[in-house]
Amino acid sequence: MKQLISIEINGEVHELAVAPQDSLLHVLREELGLIGTKKGCDTGGCGCCTVQIDGRAVYSCMTYAMSVQGKPVVTIEGITENGQLDPLQQAFIDAGAVQCGYCTCGTIMAARELLATVPDPDESQIRHAIAGNLCRCTGYQKIVDAIKLAAANSA
Amino acid sequence: MTSSTTSTTVLGKSVQRPDALDKVTGGKHYPVNVTLPGMLHAKLLRSPYPHARITGIDASAAAKLPGVKAVLLPQDVPQRKYCPVYFVPTLAPSMVQDMLIMSDTVRYAGQPVAAVAATTAAIAEQALELIEVDYEELPAVFDADAAMAEGAPQIHEGAENNIAVNPVVAFGDAEAAFEKADHIFEGVYETQRVHTCYMEPRVCVVDSDTGGNLTVHSSMQHLFGLREKLAFVLGMPESKVRVIKPAYIGGGFGGKLDIGYIEPVAALLSLKTGRPVRIEQTRYEDFISTTRNPIRVYLKTGISKDGRFVARYAESTLDCGAHATHGAEVINVHGMFGILLTYPCPDQHWEGKTVYTNNMIGGGYRGYGSPQGAFAVESQIDEICEELGFDPVEFRLKNSYHQGDPHPFNPQAKLDSYRFQDCLTQAAERIGWSSRKAAGSDQGVKKRGIGLGCQPIWVSGCVGFPDIYEHSGAIVKLNRDGTADLSTAAVDLGSGQITTLCMIAAEELGLEADQVRMTYADTDTVPFDAPSHASRVTYSSGNAVKAAAGQARQRLLEVAGGLLEASPDDLEVCEGMVRVKGSPDSQISVVDVVTRAESPFVVMTEEGPQPTNLEEKGTIIGLSSMAPPANPSPATVEFVEVEVDTETGQVKILRVVFAHDLGKLIHPAGAEGQVEGGFQQGMGYALMENLLFDPDSGACLSSDFLDYKMPTAVEMPPKIESIFIESNEPTGPFGAKSLSEPCVTVPAPAIANAIYNAVGVRVRELPITPEKILAGLGKL
Repeated sequence: MKQLISIEINGEVHELAVAPQDSLLHVLREELGLIGTKKGCDTGGCGCCTVQIDGRAVYSCMTYAMSVQGKPVVTIEGITENGQLDPLQQAFIDAGAVQCGYCTCGTIMAARELLATVPDPDESQIRHAIAGNLCRCTGYQKIVDAIKLAAANSA
Repeated sequence: MTSSTTSTTVLGKSVQRPDALDKVTGGKHYPVNVTLPGMLHAKLLRSPYPHARITGIDASAAAKLPGVKAVLLPQDVPQRKYCPVYFVPTLAPSMVQDMLIMSDTVRYAGQPVAAVAATTAAIAEQALELIEVDYEELPAVFDADAAMAEGAPQIHEGAENNIAVNPVVAFGDAEAAFEKADHIFEGVYETQRVHTCYMEPRVCVVDSDTGGNLTVHSSMQHLFGLREKLAFVLGMPESKVRVIKPAYIGGGFGGKLDIGYIEPVAALLSLKTGRPVRIEQTRYEDFISTTRNPIRVYLKTGISKDGRFVARYAESTLDCGAHATHGAEVINVHGMFGILLTYPCPDQHWEGKTVYTNNMIGGGYRGYGSPQGAFAVESQIDEICEELGFDPVEFRLKNSYHQGDPHPFNPQAKLDSYRFQDCLTQAAERIGWSSRKAAGSDQGVKKRGIGLGCQPIWVSGCVGFPDIYEHSGAIVKLNRDGTADLSTAAVDLGSGQITTLCMIAAEELGLEADQVRMTYADTDTVPFDAPSHASRVTYSSGNAVKAAAGQARQRLLEVAGGLLEASPDDLEVCEGMVRVKGSPDSQISVVDVVTRAESPFVVMTEEGPQPTNLEEKGTIIGLSSMAPPANPSPATVEFVEVEVDTETGQVKILRVVFAHDLGKLIHPAGAEGQVEGGFQQGMGYALMENLLFDPDSGACLSSDFLDYKMPTAVEMPPKIESIFIESNEPTGPFGAKSLSEPCVTVPAPAIANAIYNAVGVRVRELPITPEKILAGLGKL
């Protein structure tokens, strides 16, 4: 049975009727049209659906929508402010880290938690921070370069 | 980078990918995002049995479930046998037409037996549980040898010993040549089933209209292939099927190179309901939809005293699963480009068998049979060198083709641009080959080793292949703001086809890269094209784009010539201006020329209405539809340094140096991306990836990313170094030929050879797991 809940996404509060089994990913994509968050596997294995909840990078496919009440959610749509790209978004473009791009938004959200907590991460910290985000196109090299570039540009 | 090509202004510089901004801000245009008003969602019911006959289906309860709009059962589906592979004619004699959209016989666990369309995916899924299917189980077989043995279950009528195709290729007299060989080496090399792991699932939305016309959105690699196959299986004229080109898709790698069950099922459900129908595969469904076929290779090689190939004999057994699909062609590419054509050898005999089993069906995957061959050939070369004391680099140099030699695949042509030797020597120097130690000689628990793998001969498309389409087309249209629109059916899988083709058009037109935009296309509006596959787009589509852009440029110069009172031959385009060569003052902007070409014939001026010139009127546009002139071979070499922990068997990749002759480097960042991503796939193949099935039930055991392991950022080496050699291919667009697939082929043999060099353990079966290394070290 659906229940009415209130969740805050990208600073905006939404009143939604959700079923107990509805994942946050499902609600984002199917109910709110926030299609930047991708479904790659729906079983917590690929990381394409990564969003930030209370600042932490989380798989939205493994998160019940009901469980995020009172916890601010940020998706890829919420990190561009007044048309100004997040430093990670710009760095992914500049470093050539985007190929098919299907993993890109999730990986940016994972890296965003890293840079918020470790402003000047070393290579190992970067690689571990995105170890839950699979990419089949890039071999991760230019993704790692992009995160380094974003860290440098934000310093 | 070594350069010998003509100077270009746009090509050779890394530009911002035109699709990057959209993708970092959410990526609106993936097929997975397509929704249409009134859209239904469909789900497929899949058989739990690997081999069975359906004796009855009762879907009445499912049909009554609120929200269910249509049910599709085998008896509702046209029984037209087809081959799903996009790049061949549907009834191509070299392929096998053994599939049905739905059948009363099940041949693998997971084969669809029914479908439901409902207002939501959840209702459709719920309805599947209400369908009662009566199966009569049949004996099943999951191993190619067992399938060929006497008394094995017959999987398809007429396929003797369950062999789908059985190609034999021979040059010279291998049997006699072995008599003359000084040394003979034999080995069996086995590869496993792996998945392309595109990140965007296979998904489609199919809509129909009252005239029975279909409009199709799908995450796939070939518009025209999907149109042809869908029209065939439904028994419709092709012109009633319109396939929309996705702006981009979330990866393909060969895994979206055949029509799935989803497009025909969605089409039939849409025709039944009159509503658009969407089907998105789950990751489990993706894992059982397409795979790189496992191949076992028996390889026997005769060598002369001085270290030359004298004779070669090989047998390859490919497990294609329940249907031949790509397996009928993969086996040929494997035999030719994976084994026979790799290095010159006068006397060779090869036999391939594509064998039916009750395993999942196979698919395409980057390299298309070549990775399985290269693992055998390149591993065995190192075994030969180790045994006879030859240096593996020197041995390959001595046994390679040279620029100017007849092309081994098409002896009427020559290897006009071919710098395999430069790839070898430059990469060897970069990795520090001369300081390589003897196998297993490193001291300590962790031992290091260096190895190499090569793809000496490969393709730039499919010219010369029987039954395979090789066309490209493009439309280039100049806009009145001085930009150009390019449309072509070539799908960007993520590897940067949009960027590369826009750069080629810009170079030809004299515009900047960001002044050319890839725009809309569908099967109604652009020329017929082959798929984005076979490393073909830069070369083949690149030639077509250059031709279309050249035609537009010629028209631009003609119109400008009239305005400047100069011959078009005396004009050039640069920096947005058309100029008389040598007279920089005599010029007109591209904007003015294009605007004039599309202006009203009579223009109003201060002096009153003035006629312009009728001959200059009309949109400045170029169109091409053509086959490429040749099929030039690139050349690829990769060196890998590994560290093997002799206590745990773990392999760490320390360094990778990749060298490739690609003719002309068009987009450096894009080319590096191909190499780096290709290494991730090749490394996964070498060390960890394996699509596993229950040996009794045939059920897929590794159907999500928790069980199917691929390299993450942590396992990957810190840096993959790319060396690009520019040999200037005379038939290529601005000298370019291909890159993509060899990037995936060479890592596995390079890693296997490096592991041998580190610890002296030769593993002939992929993936090279820690268990196999420890067993080789006598520790298990």
